[in-house]
Amino acid sequence: MSEKSTRRQFIEGSCRVLGLVTVGGAAGLLTQRTSANAVYQVDPFKCTTCDLCRTSCVLSHSAVKAVNDFEKCGYCMLCPAYMDVLSKPDERGIPTGKVCPQDALKRRVVGKVDAEDPNNNYYEYVVDEALCDGCGKCVKACMAPAGNGSLRLEIRYSRCVECNECAIQIACPDRAIVRVATPGMAPAGPAR
Amino acid sequence: MRNGWNLESARTRYLCLLLLVLAALASGVLSAQYQKKPPDFGGTYSFPTPTHPEPRADWVRTLDVAMLAAGLGLAAWIVLNRRSRDGTVLLSIGAIAYFGFYRKGCICPIGAIQNVTLSLADSRYMISFGVIAFFFLPLVATLLFGRVFCGGVCPLGAIQDLVLLRPVKVPEKLDRALGWLPYVYLGLAVWFAGWGLHLTLGTWQIQMGRRFLICEWDPFIGLFRVSGPFHMLAIGVAFIAGGMFVGRPYCRWLCPYGGLLAILSRVSWKKVEITPGKETDCGLCAGACPFGAIQHLRAEQASCLACARCYMSCPQELERRGIPAGDAALIQVQRP
Repeated sequence: MSEKSTRRQFIEGSCRVLGLVTVGGAAGLLTQRTSANAVYQVDPFKCTTCDLCRTSCVLSHSAVKAVNDFEKCGYCMLCPAYMDVLSKPDERGIPTGKVCPQDALKRRVVGKVDAEDPNNNYYEYVVDEALCDGCGKCVKACMAPAGNGSLRLEIRYSRCVECNECAIQIACPDRAIVRVATPGMAPAGPAR
Repeated sequence: MRNGWNLESARTRYLCLLLLVLAALASGVLSAQYQKKPPDFGGTYSFPTPTHPEPRADWVRTLDVAMLAAGLGLAAWIVLNRRSRDGTVLLSIGAIAYFGFYRKGCICPIGAIQNVTLSLADSRYMISFGVIAFFFLPLVATLLFGRVFCGGVCPLGAIQDLVLLRPVKVPEKLDRALGWLPYVYLGLAVWFAGWGLHLTLGTWQIQMGRRFLICEWDPFIGLFRVSGPFHMLAIGVAFIAGGMFVGRPYCRWLCPYGGLLAILSRVSWKKVEITPGKETDCGLCAGACPFGAIQHLRAEQASCLACARCYMSCPQELERRGIPAGDAALIQVQRP
């Protein structure tokens, strides 16, 4: 009985050591291949604003939001990303429809205000992230030549849950969701 | 052959290149006319900087790994040394709070199977230290202490463990047959994570790229995030409802990582033993185990989920702790 149990113990022990060595070796092998920590981000040059960012994220309210780069924004009164330029104009000739289905793109008058003629004013455009669902309609409308390309889609790390594999990346037809290392990842690229 | 318009001659190539550069410059100038410069506000307005929320800092990622390691150590101590069900319940609640609701179920060792496979199959794929640690630490813990990861650290297991109200005994044959499913799922998950499916049968084709099946069909992650696609939430609710009467169905019959741990736990250094060396073979523990893990009156390592329910059903354990055994002692007396 005791002899049998010692033999069994010996076999179990060897298997255990073998297992530990294998596990340790595989972990060591993989560590050589790592590149620190990585996050997902939208490559604005590849993105075609196909709307899949809105629907593919594992969160029901996507982690992708539109972001306005103020340095590139023209502060226009007739912003093609804010108002639907083809919609019915009001009595002053300003289109009444809006591009954003969620009304998430907000604007306010900045600089010297001309109360008489709204066409003379500059407007600051800010995306309300609580409303934005990442559909990218404003980004598309802001592309050249109509716009400056100051709006772009971005994965917001305050919302992203860092899935093992990004569901949007799988869905993206343009391969625009890229994996980048965390240091120096700021996605502030030039306008397209 | 004439020298003038031969495309291969160096001069023509330079000419073409020059034309291309000129065309590019011209288009640049044309498009620049459409670009509206930001207005000059004359110092009355300062441009706001767009916010870019930082990703999780490296030390927070390290904290995840530290929490996992601490959880594994704590689980081993509670189950093997303290032999306390209350401790396991507390640890489970902690795991659901941290790995479940705070970390929103990502990263987890179950999903890390796919990251590890993909990085082995494709050298361009980036894998982070955190994922490596999450995949390998529970494996090491299992070789040392058995499936303590399942017992109190895995948030998916913990949530099923806590909703278990009235365990129904599953027929042993069915239990064993379903026990093969984790390996089928593991094979599928590994295959899809590393290679995807590319099948051609005559004119009929299936083309599916790499997919992380385990993550796409994870039952509880949607509940932890309180959002997600309908199918995930529906499966989650179904598993919770079923898990009230059947002990931890996902862990026993689907979890691919559980399949891996079951193999490793067979040779673990320490094991769950209810009353080592003092068994009375009364069989009370087998009735207390909701997972059918007590076979032939002993805990079977491969299917034992280290939940610590069995200890308090044992008259010997009660005697050791000096607790009046009550009904358990009566039953023991009645037996010859």
